[in-house]
Amino acid sequence: MSLHRADTLGGRAAVVGIGATEFSKDSGRSELKLAVEAVHAALDDAGLTPADVDGLVTFTMDSNPEITVAQAAGIGELSFFSRIHYGGGAACATVQQAAMAVATGVAEVVVCYRAFNERSGHRFGSGLQSRQPSAEGVAMGWTMPPGLLTPASWVALHAARYLHTYRLSPDVLGHVAVADRRHAAANPAAYFYQRPITLAEHAASRWIVEPLRLLDCCQETDGGQAVVVTSVERARELRHAPAVIAAAAQGAGRAQEAMTSFYRDDLTGLPELGVVARQLWGSSGLGPQDIDTAVLYDHFTPFVLMQLEEFGFCARGEAADFAADGGLELGGRLPVNTHGGQLGEAYLHGMNGIAEGVRQLRGSSVNQVADASAVLVTAGTGVPTSGLVLTADG
Amino acid sequence: MNLEAYQGLPSTVAGVGPDLVNAPMIRHWCEAMGDANPAYTAAGAEAFAPPAMLQAWTMGSSGRRGHFNALMRELETAGFASVVATDCEQQYARPLRIGERVLFESDIESVSAEKRTALGTGYFITTRMDVRAYDEAAGEKPGEATPVGTHRFRILKFRPAERAERPQGVDAKPRRPRPVVNRDNAGYWEGVAAGELRFQRCDACGTARFPWLPGCNACGSDRWHAEAASGAGEVYSKVVVHHPLPPAFGTKPYTVALVELAEDVRVVANVVGAAPEDIAIGTPVRLGFQRYDEELELPVFHLAGPDRLPPLRVPLTRTLIVSGAIASRDYQDVHHDAELARAKGAPDIFMNILTTNGLVGRYVTDWTGPDARIESIAIRLGVPAYPGDELQFSGEVTERGEDGRLVLAVRGTNRLGVHVSGTVTVTVNVTRKVGRATT
Repeated sequence: MSLHRADTLGGRAAVVGIGATEFSKDSGRSELKLAVEAVHAALDDAGLTPADVDGLVTFTMDSNPEITVAQAAGIGELSFFSRIHYGGGAACATVQQAAMAVATGVAEVVVCYRAFNERSGHRFGSGLQSRQPSAEGVAMGWTMPPGLLTPASWVALHAARYLHTYRLSPDVLGHVAVADRRHAAANPAAYFYQRPITLAEHAASRWIVEPLRLLDCCQETDGGQAVVVTSVERARELRHAPAVIAAAAQGAGRAQEAMTSFYRDDLTGLPELGVVARQLWGSSGLGPQDIDTAVLYDHFTPFVLMQLEEFGFCARGEAADFAADGGLELGGRLPVNTHGGQLGEAYLHGMNGIAEGVRQLRGSSVNQVADASAVLVTAGTGVPTSGLVLTADG
Repeated sequence: MNLEAYQGLPSTVAGVGPDLVNAPMIRHWCEAMGDANPAYTAAGAEAFAPPAMLQAWTMGSSGRRGHFNALMRELETAGFASVVATDCEQQYARPLRIGERVLFESDIESVSAEKRTALGTGYFITTRMDVRAYDEAAGEKPGEATPVGTHRFRILKFRPAERAERPQGVDAKPRRPRPVVNRDNAGYWEGVAAGELRFQRCDACGTARFPWLPGCNACGSDRWHAEAASGAGEVYSKVVVHHPLPPAFGTKPYTVALVELAEDVRVVANVVGAAPEDIAIGTPVRLGFQRYDEELELPVFHLAGPDRLPPLRVPLTRTLIVSGAIASRDYQDVHHDAELARAKGAPDIFMNILTTNGLVGRYVTDWTGPDARIESIAIRLGVPAYPGDELQFSGEVTERGEDGRLVLAVRGTNRLGVHVSGTVTVTVNVTRKVGRATT
């Protein structure tokens, strides 16, 4: 549904292929090469070929234009190409774009991709130096001279207010990190495969930007991830059981900024994800109680807690309790980020989380939730964002 | 060198101030320091000298300084040719009034072992002076002199470090990211240059807004005007940045706060002059401004409340440095002659400790008002104060006695770091409840 009335997108398209490169600290190849490899892997997984593709979607932050990926991947004519803005907030929206193109007949097979050398090349965590005096540059520019220069610092300013409001210690963020790392420990593709952590290790890790510690921050990564979207009808003829896009939505809040929404509300929530949640529940007809497992965007731990509240998995201020005692782990109240998340598997701007949602519906996750039939996937937090509800077919 | 032998020997014997305490020197001092305290320029017997002038009355005096001069010669012969003052502790027994003659005696209290410092290797020499005075203009005799105060002074006599070992000069300092300015927010930065933190207010619906935008999110109107914030606010959220630490932000974790202003808008700014652990969400703060380099000036916040002195900014002009040195009768070339200062290893002339002391006194009485009595000032110098920079004073009450006696911790920072930190004891007129009303 849109903000005001139900939409007609749900159930029209499905994710039929997922593919990724390895996740590393130094890929040793270009971002374009990573993108092409990921696109090919996703097409192979779907049982499709480059010749089947007529649409491509990526992030505005991606350095690989659709036409260049097509050129290098053996893809021919394109009838649909699109890019979504706002960093990781674009992740689920690429799939929404693809689904809308497929549902309207604008395209038949659309590949969504994201590829970067975010570790060996430019690291977001290294901090901003300057910005052009555009509207976007000015919005970011307010926080630069005083020294808020990194994603960790922007998230921390929200997190400090959240923790203060609900009288929580930064140690509670460890529940998120421990769950992610437990899941990653079982995932051979994860950067932190076989390296779980304890709450004590989280609490002992060094400060990055108080109240965030090292183990609250994701693993900056080189790699590429792609997913293939087509109509549900065509999906049923392909190799894997379709992951049906039951709902897809974007959201921006009032007085929204990209990472610096410090001037509105009480800083204890993520209003943009509230916008996404209302649409996803309204359009899919599902609610929090129907979700078997969720992939909640986790570049930093605090926003995972806030998402649990925005989506109604628990009441405001109660996410830390919800997450305690393994609440987010396999077998817990709501298994979250069963691939290990961006803290444990890789920071791929959320695209690897969509792939995990698909694996859960196929029954092929390394941390499989029994009979998973409805999965929530969210995109970047602290920015205008997006989300998906994926369901099993039929 | 047997420097220990000097300890306990007299430094100055039978010192006599060359001039009676007089209105012109007081006026010059006040002009140099920018001190408008009317107590120092009142008519006739009401006037008294700024307490921090204590040493100035002793400068250029007669008096026998044999042992002290021998100590200096011995160190200079050994290659410790440069000198810098590091500490000044003064206690004031009573005010000095116009017409009084100052008499003084001092001892070499201690000579340190050889120390390595940022400036170079050398020796700290501490002298302690007792100052008395009698009203010569009224016909009193030297024998009638009564104690005025004591003055402990510490200098570093040193061999300058090689250039490579020396801390970076003003110009080499890495710079913070620049503000991002365009037509939509230029008015904000014009406000900063004018010493104001300006936000916008919608002409149509009256909603205050920050950050600056050409239209109102509440009603969509494009009509607005700018208003200057009162400066009162509180910390709404805060972080301490540990990693990465860009060079322009120093070597220690720094605090960035989201401050909610009294006008119901929020701004991101540094809270300065306080340790990260002393800055909590909900802490009241007061607006100030800090200059970081020749281009960049930013609004900053200081901890506020009845026990906080409002910040004072003092531009470090060449005029202030030179006139302060002359007003304190300190003719050391490093305080007025840039060429000779450079020859001695400094990048430029720098402020003398007596001027710093005078500014500390001014900062305190600016806050207390003219009927307060400063009882003591004890300061330690950190980084030098060079021309083109700015000193920003902050202070807090650390003790509050029932008799109106306050102990204040005062700091003055500049671009290079903490220039001066010290303790001032002051007695205020308790009926005026100094500081209680400054929240």
